Amino acid sequence: MATLLVHIALLAYAAAAAAYLVWLVRPRQALVSAGRTLLFAGLLLHLGSFAAAVSLSQGEGLARAGFGSDAWRGGQLFSLLAAATVAGYLALDLRYRLPVAGAFVAPVTVAVMVPAHLVHGGTRPIAPELTHSLALAVHVFSAAAGTAALALAFALSLLYLVSERQLKSKQPGRLFARLPSLELIERVGWHLSVWGFVFLSVAIATGSLVSHESSGSAFPIAPKQGFAVLAWALLAGLIQARLVAGWRGRRVALLVVAGFLLLVGTYAGLLAAPQHVSAAAAALIAPGRG
Amino acid sequence: MPVLLCVGLSHKQVPIAVREQLAVSAEDLPGRLARLRGLAGVREAMLLSTCNRLEVFAVADARTCADDLLRDLGPLAAEHALTRYEDEALLHLFRVTASLDSMVVGEAQIQGQVKEAHARALAAGACGAALSRALAAALSAAKRVRTETGIARGAVSISSVAVQMAHKVLGDLSGRAVLLIGAGEMAQLAARELHAGGASELLVANRSAAVAEALAQEVGGIAVGIAELPALLERADVVLCSTAAHQPIVTRELVGRAIKARRYRALFLIDLALPRNVEPAANQLENVYVYDLDDLEGVAAQNRELRQQEVQRAEAIVLEEITAYARAKQERAAVRVLAHLRAQAQALADAEVERTLSLLGPLSERQQNSVRSMATAIVNKLLHGPTARLRGEQGGPLSDAAAELFGLQDAPDVSGDDAERRSSPEEQPQDASRKPQADVLSLTGRK
Repeated sequence: MATLLVHIALLAYAAAAAAYLVWLVRPRQALVSAGRTLLFAGLLLHLGSFAAAVSLSQGEGLARAGFGSDAWRGGQLFSLLAAATVAGYLALDLRYRLPVAGAFVAPVTVAVMVPAHLVHGGTRPIAPELTHSLALAVHVFSAAAGTAALALAFALSLLYLVSERQLKSKQPGRLFARLPSLELIERVGWHLSVWGFVFLSVAIATGSLVSHESSGSAFPIAPKQGFAVLAWALLAGLIQARLVAGWRGRRVALLVVAGFLLLVGTYAGLLAAPQHVSAAAAALIAPGRG
Repeated sequence: MPVLLCVGLSHKQVPIAVREQLAVSAEDLPGRLARLRGLAGVREAMLLSTCNRLEVFAVADARTCADDLLRDLGPLAAEHALTRYEDEALLHLFRVTASLDSMVVGEAQIQGQVKEAHARALAAGACGAALSRALAAALSAAKRVRTETGIARGAVSISSVAVQMAHKVLGDLSGRAVLLIGAGEMAQLAARELHAGGASELLVANRSAAVAEALAQEVGGIAVGIAELPALLERADVVLCSTAAHQPIVTRELVGRAIKARRYRALFLIDLALPRNVEPAANQLENVYVYDLDDLEGVAAQNRELRQQEVQRAEAIVLEEITAYARAKQERAAVRVLAHLRAQAQALADAEVERTLSLLGPLSERQQNSVRSMATAIVNKLLHGPTARLRGEQGGPLSDAAAELFGLQDAPDVSGDDAERRSSPEEQPQDASRKPQADVLSLTGRK
């Protein structure tokens, strides 16, 4: 049931991506409305798949919520990240009307979801000592929310860089008319970066607690933790520079891009070296005994 | 059969020197419309007078009425005017309304001007249902063209490109300050547009305090001294320069200091002067955007080209809408023929029933009703086949053939067109003397 729902959600996301991409070429309002509706429908189905996974789970505590379960046959983490990003985008779109960001978010969501659901690796059951860990639940939620906020900030930063380049070169391209103002992109991107930083801070703090609970070490040395701390430090520096020196514009956009890439490095580290990953993270994604 | 005519001229036929002599003022319009409506054979008329065109669209009894319309425009106009008939006139109406015939393709004003011309023609009692329907269809096509193509996208004049770019950099201009340096006309125009676009503060700087004061009063701004320029660059978000200075007055160094003091808030500098007032190297500074005349013209040219690329798609939409309009007209014609046919047949049957009943002598109420029902049933059965075929065809040769065969041309018009036209008080006496006719314009293919 959960798998079926998530596959239908994926189809809705794919259709939304198509609508937004066609809109870039043929700017009809109906396409934006269709894209928005399909994304929303996909998100509802996606959330429904989470609910179905929980209701069907036989586990206890956090395991019941799908953590480490075999219900989706891998890819839960990416699924969660995709859902959080889509939810974040829809909230932004409701306030600011940013279809051009939809043309980025929807295809990226599909790109993240497809491999996640094609990989049929088994999952390792959650570590017994973490079955009722509140820190793990907060860690996963804040990591997903922070990643979603920074993914959206990353998308807006790319839009900013493209738009700024066109304005500086005095040669607006065909898509120029679809781009929002620099000021709006910058302002929304800044808010998202701050929220991303806040969630990332919580994720790192709770992550060290989880690590301590499961392995006894609060700060294990591993690529995942290294990239996460680097991303956090970069975002902290960015916020400091903005508040103290008034940095904004191109250099802030470049820093957000770099920060998000470091965060991607965190997930790459998580996937590439599961043996170094904390038990909690491994429970989420690592193909253990299957 | 009434025909649609278009007589007039535009920027394509005559230069502005001629157009300005022919323009019809708002005060003269009712009189001109009344005169047009008074021409023999002219059923409906609308006069479209803008700075780029003077055209009369009319529904008339015959093509020859175009000669009278042409004469009414006067000898100067008649010398250059074009006359378009039926399909060509309809296509022209749609293209004009969709801004495909405009000097600047895609400009937005023409739709408002067409609506205004229609409203005035209605108020003058010169416009009826046929022309109104054609105009509504043309406006609907124009709306589709604007929303479904990029024909209206992107500014194409220097001042509007400057405003568009300011919006692109700064977004909403409310709460923003605009600094106008110099007294160039184009800069004033752009400053006014920015002010109208929401900019809350308009600062006017000039070497001469008196000129600054006078200009500030003219554009609704605040006069400031040019000596305060460094502080003004920190305060303003958009700077418009158009002085006659031979050296740049806004240097890279000055802007560099200002942008730091502004904590890197974006600054948009529009240089409309020759020689330039803003050092071009200032554009290299972060969050500073400098646009000179060539840059603005480059963007305008690019926008014009983009609009031109959309023309083909816009023309296709216009043709689609004309086809839909023609189909709707044919459907209305078919419904009218069917209604006439049924009414005529029923009237004949009723008359025969009454004659037969009077010959049969006293019959009971039930018997009389049976005879009446039989007559109605015969009418229904006889007309069932033709009705189904006419409905299926939805206008076209069968409708004409039926009208001809059953002599329906002289039947009262039940389409509502004439009824609508008669609703105008001025129309009533004239229409009452007229033989009601179908309003179907020739585009249905049944001229």
